[in-house]
Amino acid sequence: MKNFFYLTLTSFIFSSILWILWHFLDTHAFFLAGKGAFFYLPHAARVLCVVYFGYRAIPGVYLGELAGPYVITPDMYAFSTLIPSFISVISVAFAIALLNSLGLTLGHTRSSPLNKRNYKHIFLITFISACFNALVVNLYLSRNNLSFSNAITDIEQVYRFFIGDILGTVIVFIFLATLLLPLLRQARIQ
Amino acid sequence: MKEFYKNISDALSMLDGLEQDLNIRHLTPNELKVFYTIIIRSYQNNNGSNISDIVENSGMSRSTVYKTLKKLSAEGIIHLSQSDEDGRESLVLLNS
Repeated sequence: MKNFFYLTLTSFIFSSILWILWHFLDTHAFFLAGKGAFFYLPHAARVLCVVYFGYRAIPGVYLGELAGPYVITPDMYAFSTLIPSFISVISVAFAIALLNSLGLTLGHTRSSPLNKRNYKHIFLITFISACFNALVVNLYLSRNNLSFSNAITDIEQVYRFFIGDILGTVIVFIFLATLLLPLLRQARIQ
Repeated sequence: MKEFYKNISDALSMLDGLEQDLNIRHLTPNELKVFYTIIIRSYQNNNGSNISDIVENSGMSRSTVYKTLKKLSAEGIIHLSQSDEDGRESLVLLNS
């Protein structure tokens, strides 16, 4: 129970921070403004939390996904993001389940077909989940005649979602590897 | 709690592998400590800090500091210049 509380809190904070950072860059960074769809940072939170904490991280990530559009900028989307956000969060679980059904079970040893400690395997999960997210969320939006402001729900949006999720995750991973790891090493030395 | 830290450790191992393959990590932890000391000192002293100060503040041996300075200088991260006050003293400056 204590573990569930910690992982939910960590997932929620991580997801919220990435959403706020992404929103800030999308609206305020002069050369990135309006191009947020091409570097959707919060997808990294979905991938990292669901891969490392398991399916139990889904509520925390989901709450983090909702906190931004509902608490920080309530008028950002003209439609309810409850279902699209849920589809996005379970996209990672879907990717893991799909790979699992193909015999590629997720573990953390060298002999595991999918190794949590190997970033290439995590990128494979990112790729499949981005694909699922782009297709299913846009299918839902299209079926319900919903669209983002100044955008049409079409194949271009599917492409933007797909590229955005992958690029966003890669950016966060590189950021964490270049900044977080040296800081942790430095803290360990001290 | 143990499981929570184990999961975090797995995530850090993954990032470690990425860092290694990207060849970002070219400084050892001791070299990083010297480098961070240079950064902190450069904020405190714009004219550059002398090597004795870096040795004292980093807590590393003089030879480690010299080796690190040589490496950082070769990579163009810092440059060494002679002190105006004392010609025998070298000042370490961060390249902008």
